[in-house]
Amino acid sequence: MRKTLIAVGVASVLTLAGCGGGSGPAKTEAPAEKPAAAAAVDDANAATLTGKVAFTGEKPTPKSISMEATPACSRAHATPQKSEEVIVNGNGTLANTVVWVKAGLPAKEWPAPASAVKLDQKGCVYTPHVIAVQTNQNIEVTNSDPTNHNIHPLPKTNREWNESQPPNGEAKMKQFAREEVMIPVKCNVHPWMRSYVAVVGHPFYAVTGDDGSFSIKGLPPGEYTIEAVHEKFGTKEMKVTVGPKESKAVDFSFAG
Amino acid sequence: MSELEEKDPVVNSSLARPMVIASVLLMVSLAWALWDEAYATRPWKSYQSRFVKLYSSYLKTARPSAEDAEKKIRASSEYLRLDKEMQAAEKSVLAKVTEIDREVNQVLVPQSLALNEPFQEVRSSIGALTYQIEVASSEKAKQSLRAEIEEIKKDKVTVKLPNPDGSMKKVEYTFPQMDKDLLDWKAKKAALLLQRVELMKPASELRARRDKYLSDRIAEVSNETLAGVERKLAAFSPGIRQIHVKDVDLVDRCESCHLGTREPVVLTKAAMGGEAMFTSHPNKDLLKTHDPEKFGCTPCHGGNGVATSSVDKGHGRHKYWLWPMHHKENVEAGCQQCHSGEVVTEMGDTLNAGRELFRLRGCMACHRYEGFDKEPEDLTGVNQQMRQLEQQKAEWDREAGFTIQKADKSKDNAEAQRLYARADDLKVKMSGLDAKIEQLDIRSRSLIREIKKVGPSLKEVRSKLKKEWIPVWVKDPNHWRPGTKMPVFRLDDEEVQAISAFIWQAGVNGKVPPQPQGDAERGKEAFETRGCMACHSMGEGSAKQGGTFAANLSREGEKANYEYLVRWVHEPRERTLPYCPYEKKDLTEEDYKRNGAPFVFDLEHTRCPNDGHELQVQQMTPMPSLRLSIEEARDIATYLMTRKQANASLPAAPYLDDPKLKARGQFLVRNYGCAGCHEISGLEEEQRIGTELTREGSKPIERLDFALLGHDAAKEGWYNHKGFFEHKLKDPSVYDKGKEKENKLERLKMPNFNLAKNEIDALATLLIGSVEPNIPARYQFKPTDQRQDIIEGWWVVRKYNCMGCHQVHVGQTTVFNTLTRYQDPDWKDQRPPSLIGEGARVDPAWLMRFLNNPAQEEKDLNRNGVRQYLKARMPTFHFSDGELRKLVRFFEAMSSQAQPYIAQKLDPLTEQERTMARQLFSSEGAPCLKCHATGDPNHDKRATAPNFTLAKERLKPGWTKRWMIDPAMMAPGTAMPSGLFQRDGGRFIFAGPTPASFQGYQKDHADLLVRYMFQFTQEELSRLRASAGAGAGR
Repeated sequence: MRKTLIAVGVASVLTLAGCGGGSGPAKTEAPAEKPAAAAAVDDANAATLTGKVAFTGEKPTPKSISMEATPACSRAHATPQKSEEVIVNGNGTLANTVVWVKAGLPAKEWPAPASAVKLDQKGCVYTPHVIAVQTNQNIEVTNSDPTNHNIHPLPKTNREWNESQPPNGEAKMKQFAREEVMIPVKCNVHPWMRSYVAVVGHPFYAVTGDDGSFSIKGLPPGEYTIEAVHEKFGTKEMKVTVGPKESKAVDFSFAG
Repeated sequence: MSELEEKDPVVNSSLARPMVIASVLLMVSLAWALWDEAYATRPWKSYQSRFVKLYSSYLKTARPSAEDAEKKIRASSEYLRLDKEMQAAEKSVLAKVTEIDREVNQVLVPQSLALNEPFQEVRSSIGALTYQIEVASSEKAKQSLRAEIEEIKKDKVTVKLPNPDGSMKKVEYTFPQMDKDLLDWKAKKAALLLQRVELMKPASELRARRDKYLSDRIAEVSNETLAGVERKLAAFSPGIRQIHVKDVDLVDRCESCHLGTREPVVLTKAAMGGEAMFTSHPNKDLLKTHDPEKFGCTPCHGGNGVATSSVDKGHGRHKYWLWPMHHKENVEAGCQQCHSGEVVTEMGDTLNAGRELFRLRGCMACHRYEGFDKEPEDLTGVNQQMRQLEQQKAEWDREAGFTIQKADKSKDNAEAQRLYARADDLKVKMSGLDAKIEQLDIRSRSLIREIKKVGPSLKEVRSKLKKEWIPVWVKDPNHWRPGTKMPVFRLDDEEVQAISAFIWQAGVNGKVPPQPQGDAERGKEAFETRGCMACHSMGEGSAKQGGTFAANLSREGEKANYEYLVRWVHEPRERTLPYCPYEKKDLTEEDYKRNGAPFVFDLEHTRCPNDGHELQVQQMTPMPSLRLSIEEARDIATYLMTRKQANASLPAAPYLDDPKLKARGQFLVRNYGCAGCHEISGLEEEQRIGTELTREGSKPIERLDFALLGHDAAKEGWYNHKGFFEHKLKDPSVYDKGKEKENKLERLKMPNFNLAKNEIDALATLLIGSVEPNIPARYQFKPTDQRQDIIEGWWVVRKYNCMGCHQVHVGQTTVFNTLTRYQDPDWKDQRPPSLIGEGARVDPAWLMRFLNNPAQEEKDLNRNGVRQYLKARMPTFHFSDGELRKLVRFFEAMSSQAQPYIAQKLDPLTEQERTMARQLFSSEGAPCLKCHATGDPNHDKRATAPNFTLAKERLKPGWTKRWMIDPAMMAPGTAMPSGLFQRDGGRFIFAGPTPASFQGYQKDHADLLVRYMFQFTQEELSRLRASAGAGAGR
């Protein structure tokens, strides 16, 4: 009888060990299949962060970009393309700002979403100007221009690459394996082209759009450091504590 | 019993007790002897059993995860697919293969075997008869024997041949029939087996691919290796493990305890239960080139390889053992004994750092060390050689004269002819000497150019410096400029004043032209982007940026004169007066005037107007010319003059002009060896004042003067070379401690270099390794092939700090890579190019021209020759001929290029191909012309890559193709994108849309472009520009 009990015990421990061992290395396989962001937390208690990124000071006039070096690019624009370095929205907020949970999350693996984030090259401009992805999430890079581009991210911790993409060439699926906010991306052929990719190790991030607002959903209750990152104005940090099911407003402000 | 007997102790007293004691003692000593024999003098036994235990238990943890990983790979869909494909391929041919196997194994082989025996029997009797024919004496006997053979051949033999079903059939055979069948069967078998291989080919290829898929994915060791190790451990038998290299008498038993050194499984300290002694050798690559079976352990590490009785003995930590094991921080000392003569040794970072400090901090200026600063010695050698050759020439000339005289008078024509011929031979040989002397003369001029000093010339102080700054600096340079190369001498005020006064008064008088002010703002930008910071740093404390090769310029404005600075920035080689080593004086305008010559001296005008001797016409600095315009030089100088601390002021120093101080000052300057690092008028010929250090590490310990610290050193455990060097480097006056030295001149002179711990370690490593080699010459690294070019090249690369701007070898970073500005995505492309693979990239003849004149232009020097788009300037170093040769050979050797270079012959381009290539180059789909310059100034304004129309002069075609296909592989992070070409069967095709003319073109597109570039002509250039213009207009 005792032996049987021991055997059962040993077997169950082994099974558990087997399960535990299995979950780790699975991440080397192709991106996980189930959608991650929502499923990651206990939905019932999840908190939400919402807010705006305000801009104070004088609204800068965006510079025009000269694309005369590549007629195929200048042809695409009836009026000269403006620099997207600083975009202040009509309501006085700042677009293209990445807001993300920098610290405070429990240590765990957050599987990457299966869906890819698109980054298009159109009219010799990266669209969107700023994207945010999770580590190992696919970025689908496309070239909608009649000219050749090269996509050249210049990360500090991730691996650097620089690949040519012919006109209407096949889409490129790319991932970054490590968290890095943000990676500048440029095109050596068209030096005015610039984009930023924020790579976050979990699903709690957002990029402000044309109303300057953001919302981060599904956050487990806890104490966090939230960071807003803008390509020109740098970073701002804030500490936030959220309880179960709490909705909290967090506002950032950058000065021009 | 008699009385006698009673008193006899042998009979009466009992010997039992001594017997017992003796036998107990005997037993104890026997036991002790056995124990001592088995354990006490063999501590390795317990290490071995501990190793086996730790290793086995580590394997137990490592094996399941390895097994697990392997299992997972075997279960992966890709593996299963490959496996299935392989199985399917095997199955598809199974029937045919089985049929072949049956035919071969059940028919052909058994039948051949069965037939072979009777066949051999007959053949041997024929053989015997044939021999008899050969030895028979009469023709008749031979005839009859031949007939006999014919008979045998006709005889019928019955052979039992096996059927495939096991039954037997009887067949009648004559000898020729047997022969024929056997040959037929053999041929058939070979054909079938070949067929089988062909059939199995797809399956075996698939199997190989499947197995490779598995092995590619196992990061460390395979399950199989692990199992092998486990078996080995299970059968482990304790015993001495030794490396014995017979011919050099080397016995190293280190691995009797350090058993993990060469294990196939990487053993870390953590894996081995925290016991560092069982870890694997940390550098497997190093062991590949230094196979322990050949090199042993102690030649590199030191220690006593034979000793096994204790750790201390084995490690040679014994006062009578001359080569104790190197400590961890000095482990690379072991490299130096065979790699002396190198300034850069691969994988020897600490040692290399030590050598660099030895050079850069000017140790070599006081201490001779073979290989360092050898240009002056070489110059003496070359001059001596020239004198010898001149002598030889004179001798031959005399002999030729006598020989001719003798011939003239000879009575015999033949004799006269012989003598005339001999005289002619001597003349021809003399002409050979002339060529040799000419070469030596060039070399000697080269060497004068190559001689550099660590510190700046003090001849220029009067035009260069604010004079009051001199005593401030001399007193404590490290205080004024923390981290400076100049060391601190322990001088009192009287000495400071005398030295300063001498330096000031010994400076030469000359004019530096007045200069208008420049623009400090522009100067700052130029300073930060032209390349100055690859050697110089700016800013203090944590704000400091830039290189450590040359001075920090944060306080330049406090000490310098503006006009001099402009001249220096513009052309640092320029000096106020030339120096004549023959007359030992600085020549003035007067010397030239006296000889009716204009006062001109530069690299083209190097002869003394007085006596024609070679002059020193440039400053002995490695600082190059950036070929700046005078305006830009003024901007930079103006900016530098703004660099000063707030409220900077210098105390007045009227004594500087006191002539009474001069003699005392000169005496002190000589005493402290200042002329080792600085050029000083009147002290140009000074010798080194320190002891030679080439073999300092094997100097007997008694000859290292610990002075009064010997006892303390012994007590504290540093009475050894390492301890001596470290204490001396940390505080050069340490061995004066407690000494009664009233006379300051008796005290130790070595100044304090304010070295950090890691710097002391690096220098101590070099010195500990500076030993008389105690291993045979063939172990020493004295290559006679291309590797020698690498050794020599490194000296030049280091001398001019090429690595401040360029990556020269893999794993190295540059100063540019560390500058904040150059982290910006736009500035990243402004970094100077990497030179890894440079020898494979460029034509050596071009490289020679480029290094000689990086502007690649005779008139417009204010530019980069190759990368005009870079703000950083490849400077002109004014390399000597010798240095140019060494550099070119170095790069060629680093890339294993055969020398001399013979350009690869390329297939000629057809007109059609030329058009295709041009169209591709200028098409919208191909980005080449968007970045690459073409030499058309209008187009090149925006260019960000070299002019490819010059490729055929500059590049090698093979490299060019490899570069186009995968530039990121050679230079990660390069602006040139990857993925321009894709593989299409055996060729590469352009990945984007190609012009219509490419339709039906079957050749390699990358090859086409390379051939186009390397067969480029002026006419083609105008055609290309025209079509690029047309494309741009579209």
